[in-house]
Amino acid sequence: MKNIYRPIEAKLEDIITESPTIKTFVLRCKEHFEFTTGQFAELTLPGVGEAPFTPSSNPNIKDKIEMTIMNVGRVTSLLHNSPTNISLGIRGPYGKGYPLEDFFGKDILIVGGGVGLAPLRSLLFSLFDQITKFNKIVLRYGARTPSDMIYKDALPQWAKKSKVDLVTTVDVGEPGWQGNVGLVTTILKDLPVDLNKSVAIVCGPPIMMKFVTLKLLDLGFQPPQIYLSMEKNMSCGLGKCGHCRIGKYYICKDGPVFTYEQLKDIHDIWD
Amino acid sequence: MSKIYFIEASQLNRFFVWIKEDFRVFTPAAKAPLGNNVEQDYCYVRAQGDAPMVYNPYRTVEPLKSFFTPAQEKLLDYFSPDKDSSLQQKEKNVIFGVKSCDIAGHKVQDYVFLEGTEVDSQYRLRRENTLIVSSDCTGYKGVCHCLAWDILPYPTAGFDINLSPLSDGYLVEVGSAAGDSFVQKYEEYFSRAKETQINARKKKRENFIEQLKKHLLPQNLVSKDAVQKLVKDGYNSATWQEFMQTCVECGGCNLICDTCHCFLLADRTTPGEGKADKGKHEKLRLWDSCLYANYARVAGGANPLKLRAQRLRNRFMKKFDFFVDNMNMPACCGCGRCIEVCPGKIDIREVLKDLSKKAGHKR
Repeated sequence: MKNIYRPIEAKLEDIITESPTIKTFVLRCKEHFEFTTGQFAELTLPGVGEAPFTPSSNPNIKDKIEMTIMNVGRVTSLLHNSPTNISLGIRGPYGKGYPLEDFFGKDILIVGGGVGLAPLRSLLFSLFDQITKFNKIVLRYGARTPSDMIYKDALPQWAKKSKVDLVTTVDVGEPGWQGNVGLVTTILKDLPVDLNKSVAIVCGPPIMMKFVTLKLLDLGFQPPQIYLSMEKNMSCGLGKCGHCRIGKYYICKDGPVFTYEQLKDIHDIWD
Repeated sequence: MSKIYFIEASQLNRFFVWIKEDFRVFTPAAKAPLGNNVEQDYCYVRAQGDAPMVYNPYRTVEPLKSFFTPAQEKLLDYFSPDKDSSLQQKEKNVIFGVKSCDIAGHKVQDYVFLEGTEVDSQYRLRRENTLIVSSDCTGYKGVCHCLAWDILPYPTAGFDINLSPLSDGYLVEVGSAAGDSFVQKYEEYFSRAKETQINARKKKRENFIEQLKKHLLPQNLVSKDAVQKLVKDGYNSATWQEFMQTCVECGGCNLICDTCHCFLLADRTTPGEGKADKGKHEKLRLWDSCLYANYARVAGGANPLKLRAQRLRNRFMKKFDFFVDNMNMPACCGCGRCIEVCPGKIDIREVLKDLSKKAGHKR
């Protein structure tokens, strides 16, 4: 009998330090595991607990999965302090990811905040793999400080790609930092996108998503054009445990990616 | 027209004792009274020996869900094979004394565990291996208010067989294929119901509805059709703040509710000094409650349901907004269990009435 709560075993092959609080965990699953970009999975420390994460790796690479995780709670702190080569559990993938086909032929504005760039990296890889189908990618990324930025090596490489327009900023600079200083909303001016032919994808802490959404609406984006990655404490991932309800939806099964159109009339979505 | 049989009272008791040969039988038992002026309560027990069936006039204390999703259970060991045979439940259960409200409420459990993206196969197996023997209500508790949600005090569907007491025995209505085979298996106990008996049932039912209406009409309860708009419009009402004052966050209202289904998946490493399974990793499922402070807390400490008023409101939004949108029915069956259990005397009927009063709505 199939047990829908059953995690499959995954070997923790490598741990990459991205920032003082963020690491990328490289997993090799012992059974088939495939996801589409934007879907999430439950990562389990056997006997300890599990938490939901969206893979940050390319979904077209099937033999390995990467998850970029911030050290913020019980499970994540144990993960951050764990050695490699241990067995973790993985359940999923869950929910609906980014509807890439709806983005064909469009200018794609991607706005990331902090560790919110993790799911967006997976999205970027998916876009890069079929770049001819999209008009351009406009990436705006903000972190708290220069050291809090993740994928520091990849960012300049992405910036060099054709069809990619990348600007980053930090809330607070550090000695030697020569880039932009200011909240991510401050680098959303004069965006090189055609409003009638574009989508905006936002992922970051709730407060950041709120102000970015308001800014985008200000700039003339329509609610159906804005895609948000919502997060709550998804436990089962299957729309059964009840925790991640938002209005008439469960984030785990109806999301985690929603358009602002779907959410705009629901109370307290940014809490 | 479904099949309706008759069984004599003495025969029913023989039948009740006999079926234990083939089934695990659960039946209501009268709880010892707690004092004067306290309503008689009924709890489910495993039927033993030659004890006769107890006919509960109204629902039991426990919700029906406890037979299908226990309060705590192990879901798996790490790392179990894909097809896990440990989930198999071989025993066949028969549950007596299930009431119309239980069946109505249990629709929500079925919706959660049998529908959606994946079927919970453990739940399905328990459902398939359980016969529901419901019965007409012949009495009510003070908190009963099924009629407010258009639920009748006798079931019309959702049971395997239903018992309706007559003066000298019971009418036995078949409600499913499983119920039909059940009756066929013990056919010697049953005879075809006569027209006069079916009419007698009808009359008894009508009389009881009148009795229940007399109890409920003066309460001026919120109706099924009005409730969604009421909770939506009342999102910022002072009601939530006022009623949460006495909430002690025990979660009783959720745990005892036949529509509440929230659970938490938890991992543990088995204790047990020197035992063979010491140090084994397992995943558990536990009933959860949206009134618990940490229900909605996420890693890092943010909590969208920080305040008790928010959590009380969340409970009502889930029941009367979410489920109306998703199942086209409110997730309340009027059993009143949450009212009885609450140490803070928070009454679901009064909360809705207060929302209504504050909104100036017509009920």
